[in-house]
Amino acid sequence: MTKRNRLEIIRDILKMIQNNHNIKPTPLLRRSGLSSSRFKEYYLELIQKGLIKEVIRKSKYIILSEKGQRFLEKYQTIINFIDEFEL
Amino acid sequence: MDKIQLTGRSIEKGIGQGFEKLINLGIGTEIIYSFVIIICSLIIYYSTKELYELTKHKGIKYFRLSFLFFALAYFFRSFIKIIFLYFNKQEIKAILPFFGSITLFIFVYFSIMAIFFLIYSVMYKKWKKQSTIYLFHFTAMIISLIMTLSGFPLQWYLLLNLLLFIFIAFTVYAAYHQSKKKKSLNLYVIYLLLSIFWIFNILDIIIPSFFQTFQLIIYLASLGIFLTILYKVLKKTN
Repeated sequence: MTKRNRLEIIRDILKMIQNNHNIKPTPLLRRSGLSSSRFKEYYLELIQKGLIKEVIRKSKYIILSEKGQRFLEKYQTIINFIDEFEL
Repeated sequence: MDKIQLTGRSIEKGIGQGFEKLINLGIGTEIIYSFVIIICSLIIYYSTKELYELTKHKGIKYFRLSFLFFALAYFFRSFIKIIFLYFNKQEIKAILPFFGSITLFIFVYFSIMAIFFLIYSVMYKKWKKQSTIYLFHFTAMIISLIMTLSGFPLQWYLLLNLLLFIFIAFTVYAAYHQSKKKKSLNLYVIYLLLSIFWIFNILDIIIPSFFQTFQLIIYLASLGIFLTILYKVLKKTN
């Protein structure tokens, strides 16, 4: 299995959130295939960039923000652009 | 009625004047040329805005900054050129000593930073040190200062631009060599040509008489390169 790059990891996390409504942080960590320290880094980054949101009801859930939704829609364009200009 | 005598000399003179008119580009041509390049650069900058905001990708950031700096540099360049043409003089400092020097400094600084940002957008993974970008700013400032100050012999300006070109050519070659995708040769050729013609654009301002005959060719080539990059960007960003 090839090593995923940063954007692929972000896409995978966002897709998991999109496909599993109201997912909690711990199951997300398990499914992400990352170590807890790396997952924490990505998790904080995604919250900071506004791609995901934390919703606290009885416990803490994670949902995809509008920006996160847009990221998934634009993912292929982003990859094509980076690839075209070797960025 | 006067009879027009078409002698060999008069035809030669006519052709000569026509050619002179063609190569001595007027304010209109300068404005159109600058306007097209500024618009191309700004379209590239704004059409990649969303991609950057979604990813905060460093490569996209420097790529965008490069074209923002190209737009700014061209704005100041067109200002200098219009002043040249309006006052019919070839040195901005002779027309506006203080303001002219500042404009020239800003133009050269933005120009060199635009090329550096473009190179950095493909090399930032290799040049991981944050100090690289400060080094670029410092180098661009030193070169701009030398080009702004008077009194240096012409060879100095040429040598400085030659060194700049060698650095760019070497870096572009290194970037291509390290590229996993060897098929993207045309991208590096475009970057190299863009850098060459950009250096010509700087020389055209610093030493106005240098490219008189080839000015139109340089303008057309620069336009072609910018339009090619714009086309590639629009194709990939939809």
